[in-house]
Amino acid sequence: MNIPLPFEFIVALRFLKEGSSQTALTVIGAAVGVSVIVFMTAMLTGVQANIFNQVLSEQAHINVSPVEEAARPLRPADGALELPILQKPTQRISTIDQWQEIVRALRDRPDVVAVSPTVAGSGSVVLGETTKGVSITGIEPEAYYKISDIPSKIISGASDLPPSSALIGKELADDLGVATGDKLRLRTSAIDVIYTVGGIFDLGNRQANGRTILVSLRSAQSLLSVPGGVSGIGITLADPYQAEVVSSELRSSLGLNTESWIKALEQLFTALRTQNISFYSIQFFVALAVALGIASVLVVSVVQRSSEIGILRAMGASRGQVMRVFLVQGAIVGLAGSVAGSALAYVFVALWKMLARNPDGTVFFPINLPLSLILITGGVATLTGLFTAVLPAVSAARLSPVDAIRG
Amino acid sequence: MVDTKTNGVPVLELRGIRKSFSTGTEFETEVLHGIDLVVNKGEFCAVIGPSGSGKSTLLNIIGLLDRQTAGTMLIEGKDTNGLSDAEITSLRGRAIGFVFQYHHLITAFTAAENVEMPMLVDRGWPDGEMRETAVGLLDKVGLSKWKDNLASRMSGGQQQRVAIARSLAMNPALILADEPTGNLDTKSADDVFALMRAVNSSQGTTFLIITHNLDLASRTDRIIEIVDGKIVRT
Repeated sequence: MNIPLPFEFIVALRFLKEGSSQTALTVIGAAVGVSVIVFMTAMLTGVQANIFNQVLSEQAHINVSPVEEAARPLRPADGALELPILQKPTQRISTIDQWQEIVRALRDRPDVVAVSPTVAGSGSVVLGETTKGVSITGIEPEAYYKISDIPSKIISGASDLPPSSALIGKELADDLGVATGDKLRLRTSAIDVIYTVGGIFDLGNRQANGRTILVSLRSAQSLLSVPGGVSGIGITLADPYQAEVVSSELRSSLGLNTESWIKALEQLFTALRTQNISFYSIQFFVALAVALGIASVLVVSVVQRSSEIGILRAMGASRGQVMRVFLVQGAIVGLAGSVAGSALAYVFVALWKMLARNPDGTVFFPINLPLSLILITGGVATLTGLFTAVLPAVSAARLSPVDAIRG
Repeated sequence: MVDTKTNGVPVLELRGIRKSFSTGTEFETEVLHGIDLVVNKGEFCAVIGPSGSGKSTLLNIIGLLDRQTAGTMLIEGKDTNGLSDAEITSLRGRAIGFVFQYHHLITAFTAAENVEMPMLVDRGWPDGEMRETAVGLLDKVGLSKWKDNLASRMSGGQQQRVAIARSLAMNPALILADEPTGNLDTKSADDVFALMRAVNSSQGTTFLIITHNLDLASRTDRIIEIVDGKIVRT
């Protein structure tokens, strides 16, 4: 007894040491459980962070657009409906009034990181006898690139956008057979303009790559016949999860349509929620299995050590002291399991980083093992060990010394 | 009626001790029928009687491991009736030492650690003092060289001597020994008995030894015989 520890710790540690094989198996069981929980948490966090990063790096957190034009029923003075059937009118490119003022006001908000006015419409590309429908977006590159990181997606050419230059998607370039520096004609209902392909980008989405053309804002305004106007304002927030709150606030204050990325990607959120529920269920059952494992070993230990419990009671050990001996054993097993489990999870993460790679050698998605995750899991595992030891500890404390000594 | 064999300071006084056990029906079985007994400081007594006579039940009550159904028990003049569970535990730890037939050492600990255990349970003892006391007691029972051996690696006789050393750790007023030589060969049994006698002589510690061995009992100062839950000789 070289270490000055309380009676309960000394006895608990020695009991665990004496039953070393049993203790080792219990700790291994707890460690496997903890490692699964830690690794899965890190994995899930990594997957979701990766999904959000990919989604949010390509789009604004909030899109502001003009209110849609709506048909109204013809209602003469006598109140009877003359044309009761309403057909939604064909939507023209409508613009946002006073957009410069709105953009300026938005940029002054502390929770806003970037604001990008855009004008978008449809047109076609004419190259020789080939004509292909495209989606034209006019942007202010400096502002737009803060929302959608196009420069990092350029696979050929540059991301600069001088007035007569256009950036086109990879599939569109392939379909048209054009490369950087080639000319192409963009046609809308109003005019034809010839652009030089300044760069080719890959958004990681074939459909988007096959339709998207980016030109400068001023150029798009001419092409789409909305001189000086914009059809949308994209906003990036400091906290993406505040998007729905800010969106509602802007809808009320600006009287315009707003849509947050949370609303726009509602299905994705539902899928992620489902994923979370499945994950938490697995975590719960793993933790339950670990807890039952620790408890069953301690229950057996109480039976095995009943005569020793009796002799401790005969020597003056109180019920509380006996109870704490077993509680401490549970906590020690939980703590040892969490330390070993965290180390195991660290190995799993290292193996994941080494083995799970894309064909180009990059990782599928980054996984991190933050210290907070390890500390929280360790704390929970220790408490689980402590709580699961309550039942065996109480039964040990309740043992009558006479019965216990008799064995 | 109170029997006294010697005229000293009473360590243990039993007055009308009765003990009944429930049989799981509305009836109860009484195994001790009003035991009156006084044991004085320094006495070296044997308790004999046939199996089932109530010897072990009486020892459990005297050792505060079990409670009587009726009657009064005083240990060093302190009435144990009405004491709480915690007070009983504390009194047991300080005033009574136990030596059992099957040694009941804690096998995960060494000989010295087993002797230190009652002091560790009692709390507040400095490590050095606990170790010094334990080694001193092991020396007294002739096992100081074995102090760092695990209890599980010692012979039956050695373990019983460690158990005697442990029973002395808190310098109790009374040591209760339940068949302390019952599980030992003749040589070891004689050694253990001689050791208990030596402790009794040198320290004046009171011993109450339950035994079936009449030869051993005859070598004590006083024989208390129980038959059918009553004291028939004291």
